[in-house]
Parts: sequence; structure tokens; C-alpha cells
Amino acid sequence: MSTSAVIRTEGLWKVYRTGVTETPALRGVDLELEEREFTATAGPSGSGKSTLLHLLGGLDRPTGGEIYLAGQPMSGLSKDELARLRLTRIGFVFQAYNLIPVLTVLENTAFVLELQGVRWRERLRRARAILAELGVEKYAHQFPNRLSGGEQQRVAVARAVVSEPAIVLADEPTANLDTKTGLDLIDLMRRMNEEHATTFLFATHDTRLLDRVDRVIGLEDGRVVRDERVR
Amino acid sequence: MRVALRHLVRNRRRTLLTLLAVLIPVYFLVFMFGFANANLQDMFETATRFDTGHAQIRAVATRPMGGAIPLMRDPADALAVLATIEGIEGWTVRLDLPAMASAGDRSRAVHVRGVVPEEVAPVGGLADRIVAGEPLATGRGGVVVGEELARLLKLEVGDEVALLGAHPEAAFGAIRAPVTGVYRAPEATLGRTVIYADLETARRLARSEAAATAIVIRVASVASPRDQATLDRVVQEVRAALPAGYEVQDWLELAPLVATYMGILTPALLIVGGIFFALGGLVVLNTIYLSVLERTRELGLILSLGAARRRVVWMVLAEAGAIAVVGAAGGAVTGVALILGVEAFGGIPLWGAAAEFMREMGMSSVLHLTVDRGQVALATGAMAAVALLAAWWPARRASRLEPMEAMRYVD
Repeated sequence: MSTSAVIRTEGLWKVYRTGVTETPALRGVDLELEEREFTATAGPSGSGKSTLLHLLGGLDRPTGGEIYLAGQPMSGLSKDELARLRLTRIGFVFQAYNLIPVLTVLENTAFVLELQGVRWRERLRRARAILAELGVEKYAHQFPNRLSGGEQQRVAVARAVVSEPAIVLADEPTANLDTKTGLDLIDLMRRMNEEHATTFLFATHDTRLLDRVDRVIGLEDGRVVRDERVR
Repeated sequence: MRVALRHLVRNRRRTLLTLLAVLIPVYFLVFMFGFANANLQDMFETATRFDTGHAQIRAVATRPMGGAIPLMRDPADALAVLATIEGIEGWTVRLDLPAMASAGDRSRAVHVRGVVPEEVAPVGGLADRIVAGEPLATGRGGVVVGEELARLLKLEVGDEVALLGAHPEAAFGAIRAPVTGVYRAPEATLGRTVIYADLETARRLARSEAAATAIVIRVASVASPRDQATLDRVVQEVRAALPAGYEVQDWLELAPLVATYMGILTPALLIVGGIFFALGGLVVLNTIYLSVLERTRELGLILSLGAARRRVVWMVLAEAGAIAVVGAAGGAVTGVALILGVEAFGGIPLWGAAAEFMREMGMSSVLHLTVDRGQVALATGAMAAVALLAAWWPARRASRLEPMEAMRYVD
């Protein structure tokens, strides 16, 4: 076990129950992500990628096993404590519906900082800076519906990294984008990973993205079938 | 708060309808308070100025009186007490005697009310109500009768009326007195039954030089039914200071019908207002619930990002709160504006049967609307509280959403 692991799982299980039917989504996943790693979890639909990200992000609870975030087990945490953990330690980029429609790009980016209680002036300064880094500063006062899908995802990345979390979890962030925009987004995330020393884990089923990451964790039927460093 | 306000602006039509649902009950209640106040104030003025005063000192009855007020042979000791009590604006001695009034071949059972005209005039308004002849004056020996009684006995100014006193504690007395004036009573019953005489004339009828049936008291700073607490305090003081054999009754005890009406009016108003408030609250609940439902994915996202549940509750309540505050304040402003507008045009004049009914009840046929700050605050605060209470359930529901389930929600 590495001492610099940002997040670690031990025998992680997730079983969905519908009536009497049980559907295992994860079957004993063990993995460890180091600081500053830029990792993709890949696999076909239904392989358990999204489930894994949701469990790691404290959005769902495992049926079995344990998750350690910075060495601390997550299983005993209450809903409010998990929310606090998400707010302070984890950044999220979702596949779709990432932005709050009634807030401007700048306000969306600063929203997590607002939740954290950062003062108005400071959070706007930080939000503007990250938007500039990601090349979407010119949209700062636009509402999300005026932006393209790729621009919206850039803003979502900006919001995910603006609070400098321990790890950013991105669930199929390129799924709704064309190939070029998707690759650009991954490159952008990569730049954030390098410049901000932020650990990234994203889920994808697009194999063309995998040569841009440090490490690939392949999932099939809820099991890790591949875990290799590619860079 | 910003998110809440943006949602309100984005859904303008729904926001406007919800605002109206909050505004209308407040507006209605404020205006109805103004209406009720006009009635109550009118009844209070009529009762206290013309009939009961704010309170009366009377002798305690020691035997059945058959509807008459016990006689005080000489109330000097009670009058001496009044001089020691602070907060009393003034008092006057009155002698009410059951009597038989006859003119020609017509007779009626009446009450002869002996008053000191100079003391009654400034507050009683009797002089202002004279429609024929002259107001009452000490030493002239005449009487003033109501329009209704004048009609019944076919009396005119200058005629003589024979009065036969019949107080159970006084000797029978009989006098003939000229009618020096005819007054228009605020209430038809008074006009039919009460004959005003100066105190000396009434005492001659009772054949008792210092007799009285009541010391009528007016208390300083009591100008409306809402000043009852001040009146109660003074009445308690007088009660405590009086020698044995006297009792003090305030105007509500002396005018039980008015008291009953007052007792019914405010609760009835609050019940009707409460129904309006409940309907307003249901509209708010429906709106906020719909809003939460439409924003399920957004709320899921906010929760996913790590917002505390209480923050989500606050966000939803902020939306309802903005509607509640603006709507309730709008209702208060429009309600007060309407009242002020009506008063600027001289009140609401009643006519026909309504005006006659009001006169029968002893009230003015022109309603002067008033509303006090406490009532406006009550209507505004209660509606705002109802709106917030109505939003509590959707807010709580929003805060309990599971983030991922909510983000997958399809409306």
C-alpha cells in the first residue's frame, strides 16, 4: 500500500437490487490512485465504470468493501459528512447537465467556492483565473444555454478544479462531444492535472482517449481486468 | 438567494400568480380590518359618548330592581374617590328613572335621564343631535325627546309632557315639563325610550335632592376599543378605592350587545382571513413543489457538488420567502392604500336599507375605515409565515433527494 495514495479501495462491491433481482455492478474491486495521476477507467457499457466513480465520489454507498480517501475510510461517514467530503476533497465532471442553468458561467464556476464559504471577491478572482486558463473567460457572464457542449464541459472542468480538490472524478465527460472536442477536453484536463497537480480519474468507453493518460484501469462485468501504466 | 431569485424571474407568470395568491389574502384581511375597525369604532363612540361613558359607578342592588338602576341617595363619597384616581378625564352624575310619559291621550313607558347638560355636552354630543328646538339647559326645566318618541306621542317643541316617575327605590313623583327640543338618537331604541332632562328636574321626579343612579366616567387616553387595557387598569383602581356599596362597570358590561358583536366580529374576520390564508398557502405549496420537481436534476447536481442539505432547504425556502415577503408586503401596501384612498374621499357612504340598518344598530351610515400597524403587521406576518410553512415540505423533500437519482430524473 502506497503512502501517497489519494484514494484506495479494498474488495469493493456494489449490488443493485430490484425486487428479488440482484445485479452486481462491481465485484471486489481493489485499486489505488496516486497523487497527480491522470487515470482513465475504460470498459464497455455496464462494466461498472460509472458505479465505481459514484462510489469513489461518495455519491453512493458500496454493498461491500471499503474506500479510503487520503487514508480515511468513507464507510462510517453520514450523508452530511459525505457531502462535506465531496465539497472539500472531490471535484466532479458529469456526462451531461453539469451546470446550473440560472447561473452565469462565472457564477457556476464559483459555486463550489460559495458552498465552501469563500468570500465573494476571492471566489470571483479564482473563478475568473481558472476560466482564463481554460480559455472560456469570454463566456463568464453568459448563461450555460448559450454555450456549446464542449464549452459547457470546459466550464464544468473549471468548476471541478477551482477549489483545488484532492481528486477530480469525471464520468464520461466526452460522451456527448464530437471526437475533436472530446480530445481537446481530455488535453485540457491533462493540462489541469499537470499545472495544478490534481489527480484525475475519468471514465470512458472511447479507446482513442487512452493514449493521453498515465494509467488505464480496464473494467468488465464489475471486475478490474486491466491495470497498466501507459505513459 | 441568487439562485432562488433567478428561478422566480425565469418563471415570471408562475411567480406572478403565486405573488397574487399571497397578496390577495393580505390585501383582503387588511381591508376587512379597516371595515371592522370602522364598525367597532362607531359602536364604541356611540355607546361611550351617548350612553355608557367608558365606565359607570353604580350602587350595588340590594333588592330586585325590575330593570331599574339602584339609586344612590348621595354619591358624594364615591365622587370624592374619583378625584384621587389618575387617568380620569372627567365624570358626570346621572339619574335614570323608569317613568310613564303622557301627552294628550297617548302614553309610553320611558326612561327619564337626568344629566348635567354642561358636563355632558362636550363629550356626549346631545347638543349636536338636536333637530328641533333647543339643547337641554340647566334651570330651564324642560326635556328633550327623541324623534321616535315625539312621533309616537305626537309631541312638538313647546308641548308639555307629563312624567310619572316609577323607580322602585324612590317615591312616586309627577311633573309636567315642556318639550324644549327633539334629538335624533344614534339608535332608534334610544330615540323611542330616553327622555333627557336636566338633573334637577329628574331629581324632582324622584323626589330626592341628591339622588343619582350612576357616575359616568371618561378615562383619558381611551379613544377606541383597542385601548381596553388602559380602561381596565383605571377601572381596577376605582374599584379598589370605592367604599362598600358601590360597583364599577365598564362600557362592555353596560352595552352587552355591543360587546357580543365585538366578540364575534374579530374572530369571524380571522376565520375568513384564515381560509384565504390557507388557500394562499396551498398555492405557494403547489408552486414550490412544482418548482422543486422541475429542478430535480439541478438540485441533484447541487447536492452532488457537496451542498449541505440545510443549504438546499434554505435555497427553496428563499424562493418561497421572496414570494412571501414581496406578496405580503404588496398586499399590505395595496390594502392600506385602498383604505387611505377611501378615507380621502370621505369614507364609504351607505344608503337605503343598509343606512337604516346601521342607524338601528346605533352606527353611522358613513363608514370611516382605519387600520392600525399591529393589524397590518398581523396580516402581513401571518401570510408570510403561512407561505414559508407551505414551502417547508417541498424544501425538505428537495433536501432529501439522492444526488445521483435526482440527476437522472427526467421530467
